[in-house]
Amino acid sequence: MSKEFTGVWGTFEYLDDTCHAIKELRKAGYQKLTTHTPCPRHEIDHALGDPQSRVPFFSLAGMFVGFTLALTIMTYMTLDWILPVSGKPVVSYPIMGPVLFELSVLMTIYFTVFGMVGLILRDTFRHAKPVSKRYRDYDRFMRDRFGVVVPCTAHDYEKVEAIFNKFQAEEVHREA
Amino acid sequence: MSNITYASINDDILKSLEPPGKKWAASLSVALTMLAMGIFAFGYQIRHGLEGSGINNPIGWGVYITDFVFWVGIAHAGTLISAVLYLVRAPFRTSIYRASEAMTVFAVMTAGLFPLIHIGRVWNFYWLIPYPNQRLLWVNFKSPLLWDVFAVNTYMSVSIAFFLLGLIPDFASVRDESKGLKKLIYTIPALGFRGTNHQWMHYMRAYLIFAAICTPLVFSVHSIVSWDFAMGSIPGWHTTIFPPYFVAGAIFSGCAMVLTIMIPTRMAFKGFDQIMKIKDLEAMAKMIIFTGLVVTYAYSMEFFVAYYSGSRYERAIFWFRPFGELKWFFWGMVFCNCISPIPLWSKKIRTNIGALFVISILVNIGMWLERFNIVVTSLAHDFDPYAWSMYKFQWVEIWITIGSFGWFFMWFFLFVKIMPSLAVAELKEALNPPLRSAK
Repeated sequence: MSKEFTGVWGTFEYLDDTCHAIKELRKAGYQKLTTHTPCPRHEIDHALGDPQSRVPFFSLAGMFVGFTLALTIMTYMTLDWILPVSGKPVVSYPIMGPVLFELSVLMTIYFTVFGMVGLILRDTFRHAKPVSKRYRDYDRFMRDRFGVVVPCTAHDYEKVEAIFNKFQAEEVHREA
Repeated sequence: MSNITYASINDDILKSLEPPGKKWAASLSVALTMLAMGIFAFGYQIRHGLEGSGINNPIGWGVYITDFVFWVGIAHAGTLISAVLYLVRAPFRTSIYRASEAMTVFAVMTAGLFPLIHIGRVWNFYWLIPYPNQRLLWVNFKSPLLWDVFAVNTYMSVSIAFFLLGLIPDFASVRDESKGLKKLIYTIPALGFRGTNHQWMHYMRAYLIFAAICTPLVFSVHSIVSWDFAMGSIPGWHTTIFPPYFVAGAIFSGCAMVLTIMIPTRMAFKGFDQIMKIKDLEAMAKMIIFTGLVVTYAYSMEFFVAYYSGSRYERAIFWFRPFGELKWFFWGMVFCNCISPIPLWSKKIRTNIGALFVISILVNIGMWLERFNIVVTSLAHDFDPYAWSMYKFQWVEIWITIGSFGWFFMWFFLFVKIMPSLAVAELKEALNPPLRSAK
């Protein structure tokens, strides 16, 4: 799934150690980091330089699609079989309000979900990760441990390991 | 909170997913029996038609529409808790929102059955959706009933999506804590989630957008349900106060149902009382007090407007409700919705689990009675006395109503054993993180 990976990954017991290690790694020039946390933590975001998601663009597109879809189907269906009600205009915009709102919301939500899944998949392909059984079977990232994955060449192994050890990483593994 | 850690949250919640005991099996059997009663009664109705219900001329909407509005109202609180309280960062939300969201999904699934049951010829249900039927006739977009089809279906889709989105990281936690077949089963809904920074970044942004979008949706859905009535010219229905009145009533009944289901859940699973604290339940009780006051104010305003408008038909219906043949439904509603929450002003009562449970059930009963009052009394006594009629309950609609509770609780009992009933990742987020500097 991911590109071929060489690098180092480590686990931490404490959040502050993880953040310090991330900052030091970024200062040393390692920008394409992958971290693991049991829950979302803003401290990690800050250490990673506050990257922004593009999910809202998908949501906005969904809103426009939903609004247009609602307007189109209501106008078309109303004109296809003209049903006069109490002398009111056949195509009446005020009565479209609820359906315009509901379909805009519905499409926004669908686009948000598909946008989120698509962006996660894109990032998964862009950021290579270890393929070893040890990494795949490590089952404490969603429990109580923090992890940092650093893609690097064999030449940098020792440098990265030194940063991990400086901040008292619990486990450090090389992946060739 | 001091002895709660990331690991202990996993352990406590995963214990609730262990194989069920006899009490759970007995509870599920009761729910299934109730559901079987409902299915049998519905089968009878399909065979014999709507004669099995109390619906007559002019009372064309009876118990089924009452049930529909009741269940949509129950569905309200879950999204309110998960979306609105998320945006305002209410601290008591974290421990109760997952079960409330599940409640929303199951309640809206229940509500969605009632228009189908009510139409009688259920096999023509697709006439409700924008589809050119036998005469190539499209649906009427000028009708609030059609707006309601869009509102309820959107609400159901969005609630299910919001519920499932929140579950993804928790399924990943269950997957990592499980072995063998269980691990394989939970691997699929976890969708490869491993808590990476990329996953959390897009996930949290999507979650925030969901919350922001769901907030107006919460208020729109019951407003649109209220327009089913308010757009009509029937006395007692044709009033501009209905949308806020219905929304407040829905939150009122939804919060009561949250307490009704969370209190037994909290008692059933060891460790949940440490996570779902009394102050969280107390916060729900405060929401019941507030929305109960809004509902009481709305009841009073209806009477005042009937008097002040000078409309003889409005005055007649608001005389009929407290003093006519259906007066017991009115006074039952007043007792359950206006009087029974009064003890909650006392902290002693708000923090008493037994009292909270009893009051929550009374509020649920009261809100069903409120919907019955609105739907049936107005139709029973509209404009012309020669057309007045009376509503007689029939066994079929009572059994179908009981069946709807069986359907709802069946899903809830299955939920607590299949899915994490507390939000693992969000509970961890609310904890102080493990810091070396804090050691």
